[in-house]
This record gives sequence, structure tokens and C-alpha cells, in this order.
Amino acid sequence: MDLDDKNQQGQKGINTKVIKQGLCTGCCACVNLCPSMEYYKDKTTLVHDCNLDKGRCYTYCPRTPTNLEALRHELFNSRDIIWEIGPFKGLYMTRATDENIRAGAQHGGTVTALIQLALAEGIIDEAILADQNDQLLPIAQTIADKDAVFDKAGSKFVVSPTMSAFNRISQADAGKIGVVATPCQALALAKMKVNFVPEDKMRMEKLKLVLGLFCGWALDWRKLQKLLKEMLGDLQIKGIDIPPSKYACIEVYTTDRTMKIPIDKVNTCVRDNCNYCFDMTCEFADISVGAARSPEGWDVDKGWNQVIVRTALGEQLLALAREKGVLEFKAVPDKNIEKLKTASAGKKRTCLMNLSEKTGSLDDLIYIDPEDPVVRYIRGMKLG
Amino acid sequence: MLSILLENKNGFEALLMGNDAISRGALEAGVNVVTGYPGTPSSEIVEQLAKVAGERNLYVEWSVNEKVALEVAAAGSYANLKSMCVMKQVGVNVAADSLLHIAEYGTRGALVLVSCEDPGALSSTNEGDSRPYAKMMEFPLLEPGDFQEAKDMAKWAFELSSDIRNIVMLRSVTRLSHASGNVVMGELPKDIPEAIFEFSGTPMDQMKGPVLAFPTLVDPLRRRQLEKLSKAVAAFEESVFNTYVGPQKPELLIITSSVCQLYAREALTILDLWDRVGLLKLGTTWPLPPRLLEQHLSACEKIFIVEEGTPFLEDNIKVLAAEKAKQVGIKIFFGRKDGTLPPVNELNPDLLIKGINNIMGTSFQPVSDDYSEKAAEITAAVALNRELTFCPGCPHRASFWLIHTVLKLDNRAGFLCGDIGCYGLGAGPCGFSTIKILQAMGSGIGMASGFGKLDMFGMSQPVMAVCGDSTFFHAVMPALVNAVHNQSDMILVVLDNSGTAMTGFQPHPGSPASATGSKLPILDIEKLCCAMDIRVEVSDPFDLKATRQILLDLLEDGGNPRVLILKQPCALSPIRKGRKMYEMAIDANRCLLDHCGCNRLCTRVFKCPGLIWDTQKNKIQIDEVLCAGCGVCANICPTGAITAERDR
Repeated sequence: MDLDDKNQQGQKGINTKVIKQGLCTGCCACVNLCPSMEYYKDKTTLVHDCNLDKGRCYTYCPRTPTNLEALRHELFNSRDIIWEIGPFKGLYMTRATDENIRAGAQHGGTVTALIQLALAEGIIDEAILADQNDQLLPIAQTIADKDAVFDKAGSKFVVSPTMSAFNRISQADAGKIGVVATPCQALALAKMKVNFVPEDKMRMEKLKLVLGLFCGWALDWRKLQKLLKEMLGDLQIKGIDIPPSKYACIEVYTTDRTMKIPIDKVNTCVRDNCNYCFDMTCEFADISVGAARSPEGWDVDKGWNQVIVRTALGEQLLALAREKGVLEFKAVPDKNIEKLKTASAGKKRTCLMNLSEKTGSLDDLIYIDPEDPVVRYIRGMKLG
Repeated sequence: MLSILLENKNGFEALLMGNDAISRGALEAGVNVVTGYPGTPSSEIVEQLAKVAGERNLYVEWSVNEKVALEVAAAGSYANLKSMCVMKQVGVNVAADSLLHIAEYGTRGALVLVSCEDPGALSSTNEGDSRPYAKMMEFPLLEPGDFQEAKDMAKWAFELSSDIRNIVMLRSVTRLSHASGNVVMGELPKDIPEAIFEFSGTPMDQMKGPVLAFPTLVDPLRRRQLEKLSKAVAAFEESVFNTYVGPQKPELLIITSSVCQLYAREALTILDLWDRVGLLKLGTTWPLPPRLLEQHLSACEKIFIVEEGTPFLEDNIKVLAAEKAKQVGIKIFFGRKDGTLPPVNELNPDLLIKGINNIMGTSFQPVSDDYSEKAAEITAAVALNRELTFCPGCPHRASFWLIHTVLKLDNRAGFLCGDIGCYGLGAGPCGFSTIKILQAMGSGIGMASGFGKLDMFGMSQPVMAVCGDSTFFHAVMPALVNAVHNQSDMILVVLDNSGTAMTGFQPHPGSPASATGSKLPILDIEKLCCAMDIRVEVSDPFDLKATRQILLDLLEDGGNPRVLILKQPCALSPIRKGRKMYEMAIDANRCLLDHCGCNRLCTRVFKCPGLIWDTQKNKIQIDEVLCAGCGVCANICPTGAITAERDR
């Protein structure tokens, strides 16, 4: 595939190189920039054809060819880079001090607590985070009031149109913006911050904080709906969680009980594009947050988060959280960083394998540069 | 102004359109009942007769469809009145079932079926030729060759029908129906007949018995029908509408009918071949008069058959020549089948000249070989390239915008089954290429009903269909009933623009007036659909936001048939009285033109002719003359650069 095709750096390129290749993540970086792309039910669609040779949709898309190394150098301290998990200033185990936050959160409530703190301290004026409707369909919410963050907590297993909200409010009269982002969304934000077109300079300056989420995959909403209907009928679903892999299931919480759905059934609902994702720990964020894993086991870990700090701003925010008593900390088990590295490298390896398989060439990875140092590192790693 | 059709001076000569000549012929024959369904090129006949219905004491009706139109006309005949039923070629297919039965039984008062056909499909989705029905269903067929004949043969068709007591078909084509020529008029009759349906006789008593198509009656009815045909043949042998011009022993005999005779005359004059080539023009094309044909076939070895449509005459003449082989000898035939003429599409004098050149070795070149390229070159320099498009302010543009958008958003490869009418353009760029199936009237809904049942074979694409309000009554109702009864998973969108817009706003059962303007009750599409106990929504296509939400919701609400009625009168509808709802303007400061962020959505994709992109000034402008003030473009503009202010 000719990635340098000069006439294909607009919507046509998005169509041929991203959507038709099954790579679109539904991140919505291209939505609300123009009237031709829209988001509906966890899919980004080309509603009207656009014939421009160059377009912002293509420039900002996390699945168009990207010089990841340039982004890393522009946004992070090069000395902080760990090949498997990206920029790294520290790994922590945290949870919200406020029990009410924890009660409403997926795990430790760290994301909620940090967003509340960033809003309260004026680090950001508005936060974009994912809410969902009663059918588990995410909605991107823009929140300026820290108390309103509370009930948006909890993991979403379907991609949220977060970036469409970022595009909308950054073009309007928003102040400083913080975004809770998945890895694909954080990559789009990184591309926006570094490779913005001149007319977007002002609005990109509004982006202050990216709070990243670890992400293994997202589910296809229609497939998930079908599966849940098959497995649970019309039961009202309150939440979903993914226990460690040895449990081989997801847990679905309904009003009165917890149901388990075997992971192989869930795997059939995973968005195809997630098989081509190079990032598990949300490397292009200031702080990345995920589920905790420790020898104490799932029942304890459920109440904690694991946090990677990546930037100076991330460090400041976490320090502030400690100082203000917003987060509680506990010691990170020694082996955790290695486990994270192994898991993340595994995702990267699968991604590279799948991309090569799709193109039939080791040298054509569609959106990833085969010469990228991380790619070369992962390919050079000894397995086992 | 009084219609020229009412001119009652015998011998008065006037310039008449072919369709008016047919109407005049019907009036001179004393027609009482006129029915039809609109369709180009037939519509003017019923329209013009409706205008003189009062003066000539006619019952004129735009019927719900062609089959019913024929049945209503047949009722006139069975009540001893003179009836005429008018339709376009495709309409005859709709009427065919009743036509077969009417032809088998026969008629009482005269019954004339007028089929105005569209060779070359200038205004149709097909090039149908309905002449084979005359042969298949065994009734006489007449084809006028000019404007005078259109009048005279229309009148004669009534007389023939009265004589043989069966239906007679008069076939016109676009170039006769819609062109004009001088016609000398005859007298208009004065007698007013009384309508009565007699049923006191036996079933075989054609004038007084019940009209019954029983299995046991088929044999005698068919025999009686064939006797009628024989009577017609006898009349055709003597008919003044079959003419011959040319030498006694021509080198080539051209046999033709309809306006092709004019093309043939022109060709023979240009080629100066009148002393070598004979021209047999047939006005009576089924059944063929065998003695007349035998006489002319005997005189010449080479026969060139020239006709609009399928090789109908050609095949029938070949059969006749085979039957008469002993008398007429071996013939060499030229026509559409051997490639002397193109197998499809409309004919013209140039094509005939080329054909005759091939047969006669003449070499006149009607147009140079590069004529079409040259013409395209010249017109490109002076004429704008105009695409087929909806009118400014057409509600269909908004409707297709919405359907296109929701099918894209829905992202399950949903598709739209179309139907014929202006909204057939929904298959093209002006309708955002939304329609994926477009065939006969009502067929889109029948097909949607079918697609909506294929889930058992793994089909998961959402299925939608559109129809117009007139089409809804014409052919959609049975298809919708089918979808409802069989619980097909589909959405019908009725594009209700308050009239049979494409053919000129003829009323239909949803209209408050008859063909003649008298007040009639309206059949409400919404109530009819509600009575089927399905989900029915009504919206205004100009309200993009609300209608889009309804459509998205309907798409999610799968499993059963659902109906959305999009109501907004046609931009050209008399109801609108040419008034704008909004005064539109452009705020150039907000307009992004073709920059990323918009890329001229208004003039590149939405493409209402009321919006102009001035390429020289690089500005979007409203064309004040064309803009209908519907306000829709203001709602598609992403930056609010197009503004709409309510017109006072």
C-alpha cells in the first residue's frame, strides 16, 4: 500500500487506509471537524464523500501513518521511555480516599478523584469523560463542575465518542480542557498537539491534561447487545468487569446478582480494530490508570488502581493528590512493572503480527513505521 | 378561453398536438366515459377532455391505477356508453388482467384503449411495447401515422369497436402524442345516450346477458372473440388508413406504421428513391389484412420493416409471408432483427437512411461520423452542464438527504428500494445515490417486503422503501398489506408531496378534487396505514432534526413493517403558490468554502440549484430567482453561514 499517496490524505485516505482496512477505532478524532463524518452507536461513518486531498480527519486519525518516535520526543522526556510501556516516571497503586467515589467506581476511583482534583485546582476548566446510557452505549460528557464527575465513574467497554466532544468544545469557547482517554484517543490527542494544522493552534493550546486508561480492547456495541440479550435476556445491567485472565470470563452485574460470561464468547464481540492496537497502557497520556494486580488477589485488587505517571504534569497532579489526601497509596509489588511490560509487549507483538498478516509484508504495517525503535525492539525481543 | 376541442365547425383546420387530436377524435365519436392514470406521454388526453367534460357531458376520471381505469371504462361500455381508457405503455401491463377478460367477453358500447408509448424511454424506466397484447389477447390494434389520422383513427376506433363489439386499442408514440400538426375537424355529435346495464338475457347474449367469464363459457366466448377479429380483418382489408405509395414493382418495399411512416417519407425524398422504393403504411397493425399484404409482398423481393418498439410487425409479416409462401415467393427481410435498424431505442429519419443505404447501395450521409463529438464540443462551450436534479425547494432532496444520512449512520449496509416518479432521481447524485433498486410502480415496496423476510438466510441489512402519494394508492397498498400480513422487517417512507407531481399534479385519491375539479373526499394515507395496525410516524422532511431522529428510531425498531409519512408539498405545487417560506442569505464571513471543515457541503453535495458557487469570486451565493425559500440548506450548513429568515 502506498502510504505516501499525496491525494489520499483526506477522507479518501481515511476510507481506504483506515475504515476499509478495519482499523477505525471509533475514537471520533475526525468527528465534529466537518459535516461529512459522524459518530453513531460506536461507529464512525463517512456520511458524505469529501474530495479534499488533505484533511484534518486524516492528520489527526490515530490509525493513519504516524511517526510515533517524533511524538514521543515532542511530548515526553526521551530518557523516560521504557520500550514496552512508554514514558515512565513511576508506577503507583492508588485509590480514592473518598469511599463514596470508590463505591461508584470501577476499581479504586483514581480517575474520578484525579479529574475532580484537576477541576477543583483549576488545572483544567472542563473535563471530557465517558458516560453511558441504559444500553451501555457511551456518551461523551463535558463537565466543568467537580461534583458532577462523580456519577460518570465506571469502566465503559464500548468506545466513547470522547474526541468528538473534544473537537466540539475546543472549537467553542472552552478554557483549559482535560480528557479521559483510551490509548487510541490519547494518540489522536498527541497527534493534534504536535501535528496541528495552523487554524487549530488555538484550540490545541486548550488541551492541558490527558488522563489515560489502560485498554486491552473495546467491544462492538451491536455484538455486545446481541450477546447480552442471548445470555441474560432482558435483565437490567448495572455494570461489567473483567477479572484477571485466569478467571476466563467477564462479570456482568445485574440488579440482584453477578453473572459470568465466558471470555471466548466475549472475544467474539471485540472490535476488529483492537487486534491492530499497539498500545495497552495509554502511552500518550500524562497519567495512565488501569486495574490493579497484586498477590492479594482479585477481591482486594478490585478496590485499587495501578497508575503510570508519564509527564511532569502527571507527577505534579499525583503529588497534589497525595498532599491533599485525595488518593491513598500503597506499595507496588516488585514484579508488577515486569508483568505490565510483558502484557504490553504481548499486545504490541500481536498488533505487529496482525498488521503484517493483513498487508502480507513485514515492512508494511499500515499506520506504524516498521523502523520505529519500539517496533524494532519488540521484534528483537526473545520470547519466553 | 374555450378549448379548441369544442370548435364545432365541420372542416375547421387547426394545429393540434397529437394527444389533442386523439381527444378530438373521441369527442367526434361521441365518447361518454373517459378514464386513465397519468403517465408521459399520455396525460394530456384525459386532462384536455376533463376541461370540456361539462360542455360535452362527459364523465372523466383519474382512476387509482390503470387496471381500475380500464374497469371503470368497461362499466361504461357494459352500460351501453362509449368509453375510452388512456394510459402509457407500462400502464397496459397493470391493466392486462382485466384487459384479457374484457377482450374475451367483448363490449357493448364502444370501448377504446389508448396506449401512448415512449420508444427510447425518454420519460420512462422502460421501452415497453404494448402492441403484442393485441395479438396475445386477440383484439384489434390501430396505429395512426400522423396528426390527422390520430383524430380520424381515434374516431374510427369507436366505430370499429361498436361494429365488432370488442375493445380496440389505439397506439400512439411520443413523437405523435407530443408533436403538433394540422388537423381538419369533423362534427361533434349531439345525442346523449342513456346508461343501463342489462342482464336479463343468457350469458352468451352479449348485449343483454350477464357478463360472466365462466370456465364453461370460455370455448364459446373465445370462438365469438375470433369471429370479431375476422370482422376486423375484413374491415382492415378495405381501410383507408392502409396506404401504398410507390412503383408497381418496387426494388424495395418498406412496410411501416405510426410516425415511422413520416421518417420513411423523409428518407425516400432525401435519397430520391420514390421511383424505386414502395412505401406501404399500415394503420391497422393487428390482425394484419392478409390479402393486402399478399398483394404487396408479391410485388417485391426485398422487404424492409420499420416500426417503433419491438419487431412486432416484422414477426407478424414474416409469419404471414410464410403462410402465403406459395403466392408471394421467397422474401428477404430487413428490419430490427437483422441489424438494418438498431434493435432498441427510438428511430429517426437518419437511422432509416442508413438502413436504406445498406440495402439499396445509396450513399447519402445524413450526419457526419463525428457529428455527436462536434455537437458536444459546441454545446459545451455555450450551454451549462446540467445534471438531472430535483427542483429548488423540492422536499425529496431533504427526504433523501435524511434517508441517506441515517442509512450511513446505521452502518449495517441498509438500502432503499425505490419507485418511479420524480423521486426515482434518488438513485442519482441529487438523491445522494440512495435508491438501490428502481423498477416498476409499487415494486420497491413489494421487494422490500421480500427482503424483509430474508433474515432466516442471514440477511441483516435494514430495508427501506419509498413511494409517492399517488403511487401509494396506485400499487403500494397491496404490497404494504403483504408486508404487514407477513410481518416483513421493513420501513416504508411515503414521500407525500400532495399530488401526482411528475406528470403535472393530476389528482389522486388523496386529493380533494376530481379530474374535472369537483370536490371529492380525501383518503388519508396516515389513517389507512394506522388501520393496518403498524407503527406509523408522520413528519416534515424540512424538519431535518426531528425527522432524522424518527428515522434512526424506526431503524432500531426492527422486526415488523413500519411507515413514515414525510409530508411537504411539491415545490412546484399550486398549493405553494410560488411563495417562499424563508428569505435565505449567506454570511460570507462564516463560510468555509472548500476548506477542510466543510468543503462546500451545500454546493458540492447537497447541490440545490438555488445555491451557487461563484468560482470567480469564490463565494457561495443564493440564486434569488431559483431559491424556493425552503430553508433546508441553512440546517445543513455546519457553520451557520447560510441564514434563513421567515418570510413575511
